[in-house]
Amino acid sequence: MNDRSSALLAFLAFVTALVLVPQPIGGQTTSGTRQTTGGTKSAGARATAKKTAPVQRTPWGDPDLQGVWNDATSTPLQRPGDLAGKDVLNDEEAAEFQEQTAHGLTRDRRDGGRDADVNRAYNEHWMDARRLKITADHRTSLIVDPPDGRIPSLVPLSPERQKARAARADANARFNAGMPNTFHDMSLPVRCIIRTDSPPYLPTIYNNDFHIFQSPGYVAIAPEMIHSARIIPLDGRPHLRGDLQQWLGDTRGHFDGPTLVVETTNFRADDGVVFQGANPATYRITERFTRVDADTLNYEFTIEDPMTWTRPWTARIPWTKIDPGEQMYEYACHEDNFDIVHFLTGARAREKRGETVGPRPAGAAAAGER
Amino acid sequence: MADGHPDLNGIWQAFVTANFDIQDHEAQPGPHPEIMGAYGAELPGQSIVEGGDIPYQPWALAKKKENFAKRMTVDVSSDKTWHASGDPELKCYMPGVPRATYMPLPFQIVQGSSPYILVAYAFTSATRTIRMNWKGDAPTDAWMGWSRGRWEGETLVVDVTGQREETWLDRAGDFHSDKFHVVERYTPASPYHLLYEATIEDPKVYTRQWKMSFPLYRRVEKNLQLLEFKCVPFTEELLYGKFRKPNGDVK
Amino acid sequence: MRTKLFGVAGAFGLLVGTTMPALAHHAFNAEFDANKPIKFQGTITKMLWVNPHAWIYVDVKKPDGTVEEWMIETGTPNTLLRRGLTKESLQAGTQITVDGYQSKDGSLRANGRDLTLPNGQTLFLGSSGTGAPDEIKPKK
Repeated sequence: MNDRSSALLAFLAFVTALVLVPQPIGGQTTSGTRQTTGGTKSAGARATAKKTAPVQRTPWGDPDLQGVWNDATSTPLQRPGDLAGKDVLNDEEAAEFQEQTAHGLTRDRRDGGRDADVNRAYNEHWMDARRLKITADHRTSLIVDPPDGRIPSLVPLSPERQKARAARADANARFNAGMPNTFHDMSLPVRCIIRTDSPPYLPTIYNNDFHIFQSPGYVAIAPEMIHSARIIPLDGRPHLRGDLQQWLGDTRGHFDGPTLVVETTNFRADDGVVFQGANPATYRITERFTRVDADTLNYEFTIEDPMTWTRPWTARIPWTKIDPGEQMYEYACHEDNFDIVHFLTGARAREKRGETVGPRPAGAAAAGER
Repeated sequence: MADGHPDLNGIWQAFVTANFDIQDHEAQPGPHPEIMGAYGAELPGQSIVEGGDIPYQPWALAKKKENFAKRMTVDVSSDKTWHASGDPELKCYMPGVPRATYMPLPFQIVQGSSPYILVAYAFTSATRTIRMNWKGDAPTDAWMGWSRGRWEGETLVVDVTGQREETWLDRAGDFHSDKFHVVERYTPASPYHLLYEATIEDPKVYTRQWKMSFPLYRRVEKNLQLLEFKCVPFTEELLYGKFRKPNGDVK
Repeated sequence: MRTKLFGVAGAFGLLVGTTMPALAHHAFNAEFDANKPIKFQGTITKMLWVNPHAWIYVDVKKPDGTVEEWMIETGTPNTLLRRGLTKESLQAGTQITVDGYQSKDGSLRANGRDLTLPNGQTLFLGSSGTGAPDEIKPKK
């Protein structure tokens, strides 16, 4: 082969190599593992990257939501009446808001008389300290739609549903007086059937933790209470047929860009399964999980039920990654739920002493428990 | 998987009848045959214990028989004796390891790219987290134990300690103490089955280490998913019915 | 202009208000009597690190020399576990002062409103005396 042919061949080999071998672009690898911004980029490219930050991805290419997350906050679900019209606070207002809500919520207070004191058990160190902090974005409610930050008003309920609500309110009243008739008077959380694992996920006083696992074609979300896991197929299969109903419903998901979109149907018709006594057959909940950065995930849910609320409503709650430093632990509940017996035997003992439950005051909260 | 380890993702199920009795057992009438007839009968099966028998210490063999005799005796009237009798499965308590593996319901493994593997069981929606290459001990006991995993070649080895001493290994009353230690091995044997082995020791209860093994089969039906088996509501009348208000609401 | 957010501190109420769903907790005054406060010193015989409530068993010596066994209801242990405590953190034999409210049915059961050690330190808050490790992170 002469020199010219060799040179040409070498040139062709070089060009071919350029075409066939993936080249790193702007400092990012193409391997699909956790990506970081960085490397040398032009100012224009950096500006673009800031608007659409590269999504952390699993090796199989799904947005990476894996880890243990905590959703505790003091920001209320609904905007307080005296903050009407104000959806976000400035720094000074936010600091005062946080301090005042923390003062209202803290369990270390001993003031206000014995009735207040007995209900504050237990001290703060038994509680999730994160629940004394408002969200970083200084919103005045977790609800972002409707714009007033409040749950929409109810549509007129059918007589059957009104009757069911009243019955549940009566049961709650008996239970809250410490005089339940049977275990049926107790709520699903007290009976250890479902707790914060029932969507929508809302912050509570402790154990506000969720462990997200992923595998090709699945996302699994395991809330701490009560030790269950929602294993969500992403392959587009249909929901279970309507005659199969579950306490946590039936969930399907897909990724829309960086966001896991999850829809749940097929809820059981029992009292307390869906939010605030909504109608399980017409209740729809859509949840969205978007990882914002290494330590933050935005959880957003939209609930609609034309048989219960006049319009859909949406809330957004930031989740914070807490592992590996902190872990989620087993929350067995039914196994050592001694209080069920304490409540029932206590009621029987008090009945023997002649105690009774007074009639429920008219207008007392009928929705009550989830 | 991308990290080079076997992919254990999927829905798996055992097809032994070990949940009745992990040792050899004939078919027999179950509790209340005068009501349950053939519905309640116990299915026969061959021992999954290698060598046949569990090496109980003499006191423990007697205790196992007592457990069996009282497996349907439920009395939660006193906190202190809440767990003194009755098969925890009957009460819908989480079954622990290894029993959860051979319950007659499927379970699902979710193995990703994080240091944790989820095993979710249909029975009472029990879950356990296998913490890979984890060094710390259980901070307290759990019904599903504390699981630390590692890979040995193609085998997922899971070391389980910190399990509540109240769990049983089957309906025959086989039991353990708070010194229970289980080492599980999950080894792919074909695309459709795993070989499951569990080496068990408990110096308070057994005379030596012993081992059980059986295959786990991949459930291959299209669109299969774990359906809920939330059995707590099935047990409340049994556990709490007698504390209801007399002549009060029947519900 | 400083925005006045609330007229009265505690406008949010004690437990629930608009913040959390009602499952936040059953009302303690359902089971425990605000008119039966208790405060006594006793010896811990054991602690059950269980959910939904951990229980501390306390032997209390009465003036006549007899010993009563009280069961003190506390919170979820999981919060303590995340702060590095373990089931070894509270040894039997530890002296404790229980400040709480007795069960309405009269049994020797109380909710542990405030639990302190003889030196006045709140139980499970500090690290000395009980062997409770201070902020131990799980080893990886």
